[in-house]
Amino acid sequence: MNQFIQSLVDAISGGAILGLAALSIGLVFGVIRLANFAQGEIITAAAYTLIFTWQLGWFISIPLSIVVAVALSLLMEFTVFSRMRTATPATLLIASFGLSFLLQRVYEMLFTNTVQTAPVGSALAQSIDVGGVRIQMLSVVTIILAGSLLYGLTLFLAKSSLGLQLQAAAADFQTARLIGISASRVIGLSFALSGVLAAAVAFVSTVQTGAVGPSFGVPIVILALVGAVIGGIDKLSGALAGGFLVGFATSMLASWLPQDFSNFRDAYVFGLVILVLLFRPSGLLIRGRGVART
Amino acid sequence: MSEILSKSKASLRWRLGPLWSLASLLLLVYLVTLANSFMGESLQVQLQFALVNLIIVVALQMFIGTTGVLSFGHIAFVAVGAWTVGLLTIEPDLKRSLLSDMFPFLFDVQAPWLVAVFIGGLVGGLLALIVSPFLMRLNGLQAGIATFALLGVVTQVLTYWSSIGPRSGQSMVGIPDVLNLQTTMFFALGAIVIAWLFQRTRPARLLRAAREDGIAAAASGINVVSQRIIAFTISGIVAGVAGGLFALTNRVLQAQQLGIELTFITLAMLVLGGMLSLSGAVIGALVFSVIDVGLVQLQAGVDIGSFVVSIPQGVRPIILGLILVGFLIFRPSGLTGGREIVWPFRSQRQALPGVPPENE
Amino acid sequence: MPTHEIGLQVENLCVSYQGVPAVRGVDLEVKAGEAIGLIGPNGAGKSSTLLGIMGATARTGTVRINGIDVAGLPPEKVVRQGVALVPEGRHIFSELSVLNNLKLGLVGRREKTGIPEAFAEVFTLFPILEEFQGRKAGLLSGGQQQQLAIARSLMANPDIILLDEPSLGLSPTAVDTVFEALDVVRKAGKAVLIVEQRAEFTIAFSDKTFVLHDGLITLTLGPSDANNVDVLTEAYFG
Repeated sequence: MNQFIQSLVDAISGGAILGLAALSIGLVFGVIRLANFAQGEIITAAAYTLIFTWQLGWFISIPLSIVVAVALSLLMEFTVFSRMRTATPATLLIASFGLSFLLQRVYEMLFTNTVQTAPVGSALAQSIDVGGVRIQMLSVVTIILAGSLLYGLTLFLAKSSLGLQLQAAAADFQTARLIGISASRVIGLSFALSGVLAAAVAFVSTVQTGAVGPSFGVPIVILALVGAVIGGIDKLSGALAGGFLVGFATSMLASWLPQDFSNFRDAYVFGLVILVLLFRPSGLLIRGRGVART
Repeated sequence: MSEILSKSKASLRWRLGPLWSLASLLLLVYLVTLANSFMGESLQVQLQFALVNLIIVVALQMFIGTTGVLSFGHIAFVAVGAWTVGLLTIEPDLKRSLLSDMFPFLFDVQAPWLVAVFIGGLVGGLLALIVSPFLMRLNGLQAGIATFALLGVVTQVLTYWSSIGPRSGQSMVGIPDVLNLQTTMFFALGAIVIAWLFQRTRPARLLRAAREDGIAAAASGINVVSQRIIAFTISGIVAGVAGGLFALTNRVLQAQQLGIELTFITLAMLVLGGMLSLSGAVIGALVFSVIDVGLVQLQAGVDIGSFVVSIPQGVRPIILGLILVGFLIFRPSGLTGGREIVWPFRSQRQALPGVPPENE
Repeated sequence: MPTHEIGLQVENLCVSYQGVPAVRGVDLEVKAGEAIGLIGPNGAGKSSTLLGIMGATARTGTVRINGIDVAGLPPEKVVRQGVALVPEGRHIFSELSVLNNLKLGLVGRREKTGIPEAFAEVFTLFPILEEFQGRKAGLLSGGQQQQLAIARSLMANPDIILLDEPSLGLSPTAVDTVFEALDVVRKAGKAVLIVEQRAEFTIAFSDKTFVLHDGLITLTLGPSDANNVDVLTEAYFG
């Protein structure tokens, strides 16, 4: 029973992180139809920042990682994606794929292939006792962090003018512009927010592994992207749910799969993805057989 | 009288045009190979890999070019083709000692390499056929993700399922050295011919129509999914053959080699050349490979007059990545703009009166 | 130096889509306190004219908003010059509340003052919106959504309002409500340009009505022509 609770907490935490990552992809997709494979490299950049600046203290390191993530995100939009406004979503995906490849090689060149390590957030890497059950502190922190970020984001979207504008642009871009909403401001905002989320994902993942290499973010973004699509990348709630589901399933499988099968965990997750896409191509959260806007 | 003459000339052009584009592509590949055979040993090996990549890109184009649907998963077929050839051509004793966890029947299974390559193609096509009824219903982004997931499944299975190959972390070694540049070239030429022939078939025409206007096509009664299955399967066969050739060229196999990075490279070649045409696939593959080889040389240092020009390690993939992204931004239709190589005596790419345009 | 007259001036507007011309040289003018109608059969180029004015689609020709040439400006900047568009099919944000839809209308508002008054005016014109302000906009009826779309554009306090087929899919009562409100808007001094397919109504309502046929204005009608069947037939089939 205890083991079950432990694995449940870990799975919720895993789901939360992947949900945030998927949400960061969904935020940008909602506005400009870009499923950004290079989001992984933003996560990696934030992770590298944490590793290299952790000795300056968490109050410098963490904000710095957020700044780096947001800056890189905006840079991508400015240099590449802003020039591809008329491209199809599939083409944009390929472009982000190329950008991801490119950035990984840049990281290789700058930081070499050897993983860089630092005791980031080492205070969190311990278990605590909750009612007789040993739970990972990091898992709890992750859930709280994800919950707070989600709450803050929801508040921002629902109450602030910019948040409403973002929702409007995601729902109907053309009409949003026709009532005066600035396209570039809203797009920039979505990239910036997605950078913030990426930094949060990077923090948790870095604490978990303590080591960062050039392709740190790749496995995360693969699962996040896949999760977002099966949840319904059209809507923010869909992306979040899909990401959570994939993260949850991956974690549970990791905890419970018998030894012989555990290596195939990713294969099962991918298989699950294909299955979901077959029955609900528009995503799990879209009611009925909606037409996906891709 | 002159009207009849000009009409017959026009139809002659119509018939010759596409043949010319085929011939010129074959000629191109032949010439590049010929030129290369005068160069050093290492360059010849690189060319062999380049030709294998060319076959993969041609397979990709056969599907993506006609259907307009993205496939991130074709390397899965390359991988199973490679695996098949590896298993069929490695000496049984070697298999027994190095790949000890495999199903026993796999130890003794053997085939001559040429047969193995074709079997590899069939296995690739079979995999494509099995998954296509499901995947071919999807469009756009979903198709990209689903095919990507397929690649993920195949890569994971090949990496970890030691019953059909090496244990994870180990490679499949001992594939015999039987493939030379000449033969690889013939395979490449063959793939181009197959792709060219396929373009002319009814399924391809129907798919191109559906690509342009899916709703109209469905309304006209075209079963898009069935046609896509055909295209996907045939391109899966060609990809499988390419995989077999890869195995014979590299002679060592690891599931990692046949994954995301190869997907990226082949997609980059296709984008560079132009996704919509066969010429695009061929030219993209050739140009990309030439640039790549050039960059390798530059990395080693090239003498120009009294200077030695060289670029640092690690810049090569960055340049290649920049080329891909650059093209996607500024010229997404690629070098060929999606057109085939035309008969040079046609003034412009005009639609001939009363004659349907052959290639798009 | 041209005087800052309130109003819309369009000269030689041309819009094409991938080489196919939709609008082939349209001149029109709408002054403050005026309502101008633009009618014509399907495919005549009516919507394209409005989109061209807003800068939402590539166009040539001159468009002046309150005397200022808006060439090359993207739609969000054109709005800031003092013009608002109520699009065909209403295009309200169905997942957001009525109130939030109205708040979004404020984004294009030039002055940051007078917001409570704006809400008051809009609720007076369309009381149903005040009643339903917390409701999700997608749950409103077609007529109510049309009222919301017009209200949203009024929140920006534009000098010029463009409407694309406001009566589309509406019941007769709903159409009455809408045009009553437009009359109030006209009398308040705004310039109103209405694109419509329902000829009689528009001709009777507007101070002047232009007939658009195949991308060009072929006829100008006044309110007195509203019951003239021959004129109408000529307008649509001539």
